[in-house]
Amino acid sequence: MDALKSLVESCRRGETPYQTLIERVPYACFLGIEVAAHGEELVFMLPKSPSNLGNPTLPALHGGAVAGFMEQAAIIFLLLQMGEPRVPKTIDFTIDYLRAGHFRDTFAECRVTRLGRRVANVHISAWQVRRSEPIAIARAHFLLSEETASD
Amino acid sequence: MTSQDAPGYTRLDICRRFVASVKHSTLLELEVLEADEETVRVRMPYQDVLVGNPETGVTHGGAIFALMDQAGGLANACRIFPDFEITPTIDMRVDHLRAPRPRHAVVCEAHCYRLSQHVAFVRMSVFEEGTENEPASSELLATGLATYMRMKLPGASRVVN
Repeated sequence: MDALKSLVESCRRGETPYQTLIERVPYACFLGIEVAAHGEELVFMLPKSPSNLGNPTLPALHGGAVAGFMEQAAIIFLLLQMGEPRVPKTIDFTIDYLRAGHFRDTFAECRVTRLGRRVANVHISAWQVRRSEPIAIARAHFLLSEETASD
Repeated sequence: MTSQDAPGYTRLDICRRFVASVKHSTLLELEVLEADEETVRVRMPYQDVLVGNPETGVTHGGAIFALMDQAGGLANACRIFPDFEITPTIDMRVDHLRAPRPRHAVVCEAHCYRLSQHVAFVRMSVFEEGTENEPASSELLATGLATYMRMKLPGASRVVN
């Protein structure tokens, strides 16, 4: 817990790259997720990789890999916004697939619609060619803590 | 399952062949346990690389999502059988009811409950392996609801070897 908090604070101060937060999550490494900071804005990337292919003949990315990438992006994004960072738990995740995910790099950015004490609502958008043409949009709810659920 | 026009391959054959061709699903080590007209059951073993929270060892919700999306696609294939169509996902919602226990495999049951001319409607449930026959819905790990677009392949309505 404290290790995570000090890591998050170190990332916020710019002393530790944000990528370190991703590298501690096995599933994020499985997908190959990368993160780049532009000032204080974070853009997540799912580099093109044969391991994330779904339809082999098109070829197209696996919808599940894209969804997992977007969910993980939201989790990291939330961690950096929380005063007492704890790994958020996904309550629900809803995705609209708008375009085929081609075999190329995919990007994602997040927007926290509401950060409550217990529940956060996050919007995630993923694109490949340009931001204004998302291949998928998603919204998700996360449980931020259960320890304080009874207070 | 109807035996008229028996195509020489079963729904289970189609599903297994399909999963084997999907790189991401083979990395998730998905295994099709059952496939009939009504229901598809797909198993995903526990893998350390799929962990989402290193402090608890719980599998990432994204991996569960990928399992469910894949199982939903197979449910469509079983309904459309013996014809074959690609069915990209239009939208999908997953509710995570409980965290799966570390080191336990999970099983997704998917059911295409309505096949319209252009759209397939699918429900999914995820159980911890071994509890799937327990009726108590409190044993459910996750539920899902999805729609898929039917894309008829011109001149390729049947699977060929």
